[in-house]
Amino acid sequence: MTNTIQILSIEKTGKESSLQKEHNNKSIKIIDGYFFSRNLDDQKFTKISKLISNDVSQTILTKKNVKKVLSSYSNFNWVVEIKFLPGVTDNIATTVKEIIKDNLNSSFKSFELGSTKIILIKGRKEDITKISKNEANPLIQTIKIYPFKQYLDNFKKNQFKIEKVKLPKKKYSKKEINLDISDHQLSLIGKLGIEENDKSRRGTLGLDLESLKVIRNYFSAIKRKPTDVEIETLAQTWSEHCKHKIFSAKIDDIQEGIFKKYIKGATEKIIQLRKDNFCVSLFTDNAGGIEFNKDWIICHKVETHNTPSALDPFGGAITGIVGVNRDCLGFGKGAKPIANTYAYYLADPNKKYQLYRQKNNKDPMLPANFIAKGIISGVRVGGNCSGIPTPQGNVYFDDRFAGKPLVFCGTVGIIPKKIKGKLSHKKKANPGDIILMAGGRVGKDGIHGATFSSEELDPNSPVSAVQIGDPITQKKMSDVIIRELRDENLYSSITDNGAGGLSSSIGEMAKESGGFIVNLEKVPLKYNGLYPWEIWVSESQERMTLAVPPANVKKVIKRFNARGVEATIIGKFIKKDKAIVKYNKTEILNLDMEFLHEGYPKLNLKTSFPKIKKEKKKIIKKSSLIDKLHKLLSSPNIVSKEFIATQYDHEVQATSIIKPLQGEGRVFGNATAIKPIFDDEKSIALSQAAYPQYAETNPYDMAGCSIDTAYKNLIVSGANSKKIAILDNFCWCSSDEPDRLYQLKEAAKACYDYAVAYQSPFISGKDSMFNDFKGFDKTGKSVKISIPPTLLISSIGVVDKISHLTKITPDDGDILLVLGNTCNELQDSVYSKIIGYEKSKNPVVNSKDALRIYRNFEKANKLGIINSAIGIDLGGIGIAVTKMAIASKKGLTFDLKLKNKISVDQFLFSETQSRILVSLKKNKLPNFKKIFKASDYTIIGKCTGSDVIEFKDNKKIMRGKISDFAKSYKQNIKGL
Amino acid sequence: MNVLVLSGYGINCENETLHAFKVVGFKGKIIHINDLIQNPKQLNNYQVFAIPGGFSYGDDTGSGNAMAKKIMTNLYDQLIDFSLKDKLIIGICNGCQILINLGLVPSLNKKDPEVALIENKSGNYECRWVDVKVSNNKSPWLKNISTLNLPVAHQEGQFMIPINLLKSIKANNLIGLQYINHRKKLAKGQFPFNPNGSKDDIAALTNQNGNVLAMMPHPERAFYNYHIPNWQSKTLKKFGDGYKIFMNANKFFA
Repeated sequence: MTNTIQILSIEKTGKESSLQKEHNNKSIKIIDGYFFSRNLDDQKFTKISKLISNDVSQTILTKKNVKKVLSSYSNFNWVVEIKFLPGVTDNIATTVKEIIKDNLNSSFKSFELGSTKIILIKGRKEDITKISKNEANPLIQTIKIYPFKQYLDNFKKNQFKIEKVKLPKKKYSKKEINLDISDHQLSLIGKLGIEENDKSRRGTLGLDLESLKVIRNYFSAIKRKPTDVEIETLAQTWSEHCKHKIFSAKIDDIQEGIFKKYIKGATEKIIQLRKDNFCVSLFTDNAGGIEFNKDWIICHKVETHNTPSALDPFGGAITGIVGVNRDCLGFGKGAKPIANTYAYYLADPNKKYQLYRQKNNKDPMLPANFIAKGIISGVRVGGNCSGIPTPQGNVYFDDRFAGKPLVFCGTVGIIPKKIKGKLSHKKKANPGDIILMAGGRVGKDGIHGATFSSEELDPNSPVSAVQIGDPITQKKMSDVIIRELRDENLYSSITDNGAGGLSSSIGEMAKESGGFIVNLEKVPLKYNGLYPWEIWVSESQERMTLAVPPANVKKVIKRFNARGVEATIIGKFIKKDKAIVKYNKTEILNLDMEFLHEGYPKLNLKTSFPKIKKEKKKIIKKSSLIDKLHKLLSSPNIVSKEFIATQYDHEVQATSIIKPLQGEGRVFGNATAIKPIFDDEKSIALSQAAYPQYAETNPYDMAGCSIDTAYKNLIVSGANSKKIAILDNFCWCSSDEPDRLYQLKEAAKACYDYAVAYQSPFISGKDSMFNDFKGFDKTGKSVKISIPPTLLISSIGVVDKISHLTKITPDDGDILLVLGNTCNELQDSVYSKIIGYEKSKNPVVNSKDALRIYRNFEKANKLGIINSAIGIDLGGIGIAVTKMAIASKKGLTFDLKLKNKISVDQFLFSETQSRILVSLKKNKLPNFKKIFKASDYTIIGKCTGSDVIEFKDNKKIMRGKISDFAKSYKQNIKGL
Repeated sequence: MNVLVLSGYGINCENETLHAFKVVGFKGKIIHINDLIQNPKQLNNYQVFAIPGGFSYGDDTGSGNAMAKKIMTNLYDQLIDFSLKDKLIIGICNGCQILINLGLVPSLNKKDPEVALIENKSGNYECRWVDVKVSNNKSPWLKNISTLNLPVAHQEGQFMIPINLLKSIKANNLIGLQYINHRKKLAKGQFPFNPNGSKDDIAALTNQNGNVLAMMPHPERAFYNYHIPNWQSKTLKKFGDGYKIFMNANKFFA
């Protein structure tokens, strides 16, 4: 009899070697453990362990062999046992349960099991403690460290224990909340949550006093007290996360708010100007949709998952990516995800910031490298396991992300324009339709996620807000929806369960029919003991809500079940404008839909001009040009991100046409493309850009640069300028402060101006307004770290022909030219951070000049005049030419005859926008000159095909070997 | 000529795999594993059975293990039967891991799995293009091919083979593909030419008849010329190297 199965790999695993290397200890072994809630007899033990292990590569540990087997590896003396806290998603355990169910479907039902990682070492206790800190996160895992002797003892005596969710058996009785209390008491409800009978608080609702007063008035008018469920629901629905109150608020003299005026306003203006069918579905659905070709629509959505990733980087990031995948599944009648994008804004992984959420070094912020690694692997597992290619992304480092990392996750989806003759992007839940919940079960995951991500990260932030995505459950569900149900038109509407859970998804869909009635006791749970309000707002992942006509319900459920997916009837949509929730026949929520969605008090915001923090002048460090290039190339924001690109499967679905690593020399590109339909030569080009480094100096120009770069990268890749759409993701800080709001307003204004100038519509967006950390440093001093305002612009465009796709590699004899003029714009550049600068400015985008260059580039490219091209961004021309040389492994030579009183360094490293480095075959120059006017380009050099890059400055010649540059460019990022 | 392509529980390359077969002249369909278990007899209507790449069961308990166990419990005899006929089976990436876990390849002792696929030596997921040479050109899948340029994308692609078995694998000529370096010589374990540290640079194995091929690289992702990295700098035919494998299946039945 035993209650554990433990398996180890006979040979050293990759994970073991990297641990051994990292900790400089050859005696480290990892065991995969499974702890069962009851004892297994010998027969079951043998059967199950055979099912979950591999005879050839693994050894199953038994009471008899454990000592002998392990001693053959080393004289271990310390053990760390890492397992998930009760209630945290344990994907491996789910699989093992499924294996047992599938293959031994008799006699073994009522059991629980948990997966456990056991690490053995020979070393000191400090060593094992250090390892445990790198391998586990106390927020979601229990970490037990004990001597090896005890481990053997545990084995002998069946002492391995599984952590089970133990919730008190509680009988629910309807809870009414008295709001006729003092303002102070009222605001406590908003800040700390509803008070339980034992005086404890449930956790923040994120409701301000004014909102609570509005709620009080509503209920006093209908002459009853609100229930707890009603208050929780209003808190979710009215959260900043769901309602975007700041973007819709009156701000200074902008009555309609910045979203309506600047973002939606830009798109409306563009639609009015363009008069075409490019824009299909904007702002109203889970993602924004544009036309791909005559038969297909593509959609794109980018989300952030910042706060959860600060607490549990892996879980936060995987939840972020599989969550935004669901936004595609919830676009129209359900789009198939065909590409993922990512952008991470992180603190330096090589630095120790030592931040704490509480005084006296308590509740530490996770180390920067732990966060970075966790985020990178979370998106890897989420994307790879879902079979969605992840071609496009970037990473940027700045100390100001030490309190909150920014994790942007995006997904592109595709859907036929018509399904069974009906427009696929239109959906409508009809009165009488059944509310069906499909996918995963509901637990306490992410309770208060929506309300909490709208708040600053402080000690009272609830840890139950952490979720871990389960890509396989989602993949199973997604396959049924996209392949089977959708194309038979079996449901009338669909949306995903993300922030706010059922309260949000059903609430949104019910707008289409009128209202809804939900029976919460029908919702399948992960474990017993959840309160109705918890079921209603839980953010357990991998769930979609469908509106299914009653006649189809049986068929739909059967189809889900046949694919191993759970689907449950939990209510119905009604015509009446009422939101009604019942629990075992007791009505616990009954609100007017209008009040639920629009009842919240509108904000009235004022802005004020901020103090501009100018970067201090830095003395230029004397070094050679070649040396400067090496320094810039190896700096974290320029250095190759190849190690991420090779971890993220970008080839799955066989659509990759412009890959993340470009040229024989594998340069990390700033745009990528996929060709989603085998029998159409059109491709989708993707890029993104953000310039947080420019935000504090001039937020308007910062936004201009982001739009320009994201747009330019697609033009350079070969996209049709009439088929480029953009997405906005504002990640701001302290958005209750007038100067931060000023920056926001300025950035939004630039969004309008540049989008309209480029006629590139916003099709979707999201904002996250409070990316601040309030806590303490190691001396106990209180600190606030705010991210620099960051506007990520993601661009998506259609490339009409394969021949329009460009490359970044010039050929021997090519002439090299820079399109666009270079100004002295070194302030806040990579150069200024590393080398220094004297007097300079931030880049400012002149949209008129830029457009002329882009249109001409497009024309020249279509005519086959351009041989290769690369957008010039961080590090300026100097880095762009070096990247071209590294990618092509071909030497280049430059003659730096400079105009405009500009120095060599200014010319080579300035980050002036709207410039493109191109190469032409010599014989194409006359045709090129017919298109471009002389003041729009500078011939700077040619491709020699040698093994060096050579710069000629008057008589001085500076030379560097391409292979040396490649070495600098491909250095590891320290700490990762 | 009909091909049946398996799907379900996280397999995810079924569309492009079926597409590749269709372009070379096959008819066929994608089938969910549960539907096949419901009606295994339909295998009789097909000449090729393909297990595509993916992440069945999220790679939990070892890549390919859980799906292999499900097949073993529910479909094993039918699949063995299929493999003994004049028919073809291919497992790509996760499909390869499943075939290996089923013991259908190399299938020398016809009982338990004899080979394992373990984590890449680098400890990382590796998505990159590699060159492989064909070592067993008797397999119908690999006839008349000398080398191939294909992408791999896996976390667990390192073939682990007990020494004695490796001897008989070699004696029986069951190594399908081996990783080679830029000089077209065996990679000798050198990264990144050999992306996972596989013993003897093995990238694919076959059974004794050669009609069952378990390969880690993805031919369906190197099907068209535009799949090939830096295709713009190369003069290419319409198809990439992966096409050859699918075309060989066509030729076998033609």
